[in-house]
Amino acid sequence: MQTARQQDPQPLVAAVRGATKHYPGVLALDDVDFEIGRGEVRALLGKNGAGKSTLIRLLTGATVPDSGEVTINGAALTGSGTQRTVEAARLGVRAVYQELSLIVGMSIAENLFLGRWPSSMGVLSHGEMEHQARETLVRLGLTLDPRRRVATLSPAERQLVEIARVMIGEPKLVVLDEPTSSLAAAEVELLFKAVRSLAAAGIAVIYVSHRMSEIRQIAQAATVMRDGKVAGTVKVAGADTAEIIRLMLGHSEQEDRLVGAARGGDTVLSVRDLAVPPKLSGVSFDLKRGEVLGFAGLLGSGRTELLRAIGGLDAVRTGTVLLDDKDITRASYGERVKSGIGMTPESRKEDGIVPLLGVDENTVATDFSKVAVNGVISASRMAEAAGDIIRRIGIKTARIDTPVGTLSGGNQQKVVIGRWVYAGSRILLLDEPTRGVDVEAKSQIYAIVRQLAAEGKSIIFVSSEIEELPKVCDRVLVLKEGNFVQEFSAPGIETDALMAACL
Amino acid sequence: MSATTTNHRRGFRLFALDINEIGLIVILLVLYFGFGATTNGFLSANNHLSLLRDAASIAIAAWAVTLIIIAGEIDVSVGPMVAFTSVCLAFMLKADVNVAPAILAALAIGGALGTFAGSLRAYFGVPSFVATLGLWSALRGMSFFTTNALPVTFPDNAFLDILADNMFGIPSSAIVMLVLFAIFSFVSQKTAYGRSIFAVGGNANAAELCGINVARIRVLIFTTSGVMAALAGVLLTARLGSGNAGTASGLEFDVIAAVVIGGTALSGGRGSMLGTLLGVFVITLIGNGLVLRGINPFFQEVVRGVIIVAAVLANILVTRYREHRIFGA
Repeated sequence: MQTARQQDPQPLVAAVRGATKHYPGVLALDDVDFEIGRGEVRALLGKNGAGKSTLIRLLTGATVPDSGEVTINGAALTGSGTQRTVEAARLGVRAVYQELSLIVGMSIAENLFLGRWPSSMGVLSHGEMEHQARETLVRLGLTLDPRRRVATLSPAERQLVEIARVMIGEPKLVVLDEPTSSLAAAEVELLFKAVRSLAAAGIAVIYVSHRMSEIRQIAQAATVMRDGKVAGTVKVAGADTAEIIRLMLGHSEQEDRLVGAARGGDTVLSVRDLAVPPKLSGVSFDLKRGEVLGFAGLLGSGRTELLRAIGGLDAVRTGTVLLDDKDITRASYGERVKSGIGMTPESRKEDGIVPLLGVDENTVATDFSKVAVNGVISASRMAEAAGDIIRRIGIKTARIDTPVGTLSGGNQQKVVIGRWVYAGSRILLLDEPTRGVDVEAKSQIYAIVRQLAAEGKSIIFVSSEIEELPKVCDRVLVLKEGNFVQEFSAPGIETDALMAACL
Repeated sequence: MSATTTNHRRGFRLFALDINEIGLIVILLVLYFGFGATTNGFLSANNHLSLLRDAASIAIAAWAVTLIIIAGEIDVSVGPMVAFTSVCLAFMLKADVNVAPAILAALAIGGALGTFAGSLRAYFGVPSFVATLGLWSALRGMSFFTTNALPVTFPDNAFLDILADNMFGIPSSAIVMLVLFAIFSFVSQKTAYGRSIFAVGGNANAAELCGINVARIRVLIFTTSGVMAALAGVLLTARLGSGNAGTASGLEFDVIAAVVIGGTALSGGRGSMLGTLLGVFVITLIGNGLVLRGINPFFQEVVRGVIIVAAVLANILVTRYREHRIFGA
């Protein structure tokens, strides 16, 4: 499906031909061809693990293909290791990733020239730097003062500075990885303006995003990846969303569904008109006893913010959170934990585990008092409690006191969930519980979640992998631009309908 | 050694020896017998008592600082805190305050000042280095200012004499040191407070999400440190028989060095009281041995510096090797 390219008269900026890349146990790219021409904005879509990142890494020289060829502006990349990255950068490839990499204590101008500050005789020339920075900003249609410190900028402005940074030198191909995920709707227009200036200057732009409305506004064509292959490249103008979803999902049958017909328990958690500017505006839902409720939504749709607000980690502007008809909107995180809410964070390493402590202590950390006698932790009680959780959740560990940092990601995640089971929490808020764990561990985690629900616990399951939600959830709510737009109930939640609601 | 039999730091057995602690014991034996064989008077009974007394002056503060460093914080105010509480105690005794309330008041002053530094850290995000550096300067200055740099003397006191003297043939301060060692080992291993300190130092975000009150832990460790420094001040006042503004100069660095030599990671999350005990003895042995050998006092400082860095370097290399075994591959 090369229709989009063939009608494009512009010369090629980058081409990948027959690229294959193996990682241990995974075929990340399977004979992939990809081309992009001058001044083109190409959307790149695909589920997690479809091969988008590997394709981008090929273009930026961060990865060498096992076979196949990458050419930038007619020149094939030949180096290996960091040399290859330098080579790609010299040929004009630039990438802006989701995590911002600005130094907030420095000015915009200093950030634009980071490490390559203009100088004469070893002395930085601030005037020259500001002059060049201002020119670059103006070229992108931005009116920011280059002397401003990055710390004073909004998230959108910082994103724009990141984009301005790639303009330094002579960029030919710019990769933007989910550039709007951290932006509020109103700020997206600023970014579009900048992207259009890039294209107008003849720069090819690869725009990784799944927001169809954005893709329609900014891109001419969309390349969809699936299972390490290019599933298709379609003209955005002609394609409807269903077509793109079909390309993303393929026709894989959904197996191992664990969800039966939805049961109706009593409402345990009730959220009304919850607003956390700028990400959430007036969200309402009920969570029933024994229910697994999924939150679907694209990156930046407000999933994590909603979970943090329910957990009491972020203050809410307006709205109420009722736990068993008791208003806990103003309760602190600690108070909510005591009343039976447990939360597992999105980032296991940074916020989840204490790597040097054992499985046992990581488990009982949510409530030391349960294994203490007169304030003294009893080794036998702790061993018993941790052993119980290890058995119930199926944590694979050599000993109960093995440092958690040495376990696999899946088992670490089970510990993080298990500590709330130990604490006796009734409501579990699971933020991306299957992120970064292998396939086997994923299905184990699904089974654990279903088992906990069967025991009467209520679970909110947040995931960016849309196809896993129908496997575990009794009900799925779709978040879009800070509000729920659609609700799906088991049985019979279809992945493509879910995906369509998210895009 | 496979992952199943890995000899990692086991928090729950009180005296399980770590490879790094075994290394320290070897270093101690080498120092002890090395000085013993070559230095006159090193092995005398009197010198052993003096070693214990010197160890106690560092160790009592070092127990609390170990907790602080495990929690990922630092306290550089120990020396001036000792001097200031010593001066306070001397003034109170000079004014004929009863010895028991005076000592309690001195401990309370230390605790209050520590709580102040801890609160700055916990509730206002002032780095603990800066908060305690402020105390370091202010307390030393306050001590000199109130005493005009003159010793503050007070009438003889029977209780303080006991503290300054020996009990059962051992210096009282050494007994206090050992009793506190037992208490601190116990608290750090067997109580929720102790284990929470490890959790906060290992990953404060995770600890917070577990419902551990991270701010409270951060305040309490500095309160503890203040009280311990004040106790060291009381013992020092008893030994000197007066309050001295210039006393315990540089003690904070001996304390931090002992803790770090003992294998407690400055990055937090890992450490032990036993390690600190060994670290204290390494520092004390080096100081004592060099003095007895009659080494030029200025050059002593050089030797001490080299040994401190060498010990910590050895510790890091051992740890890296072990982590490679546990976490690697």
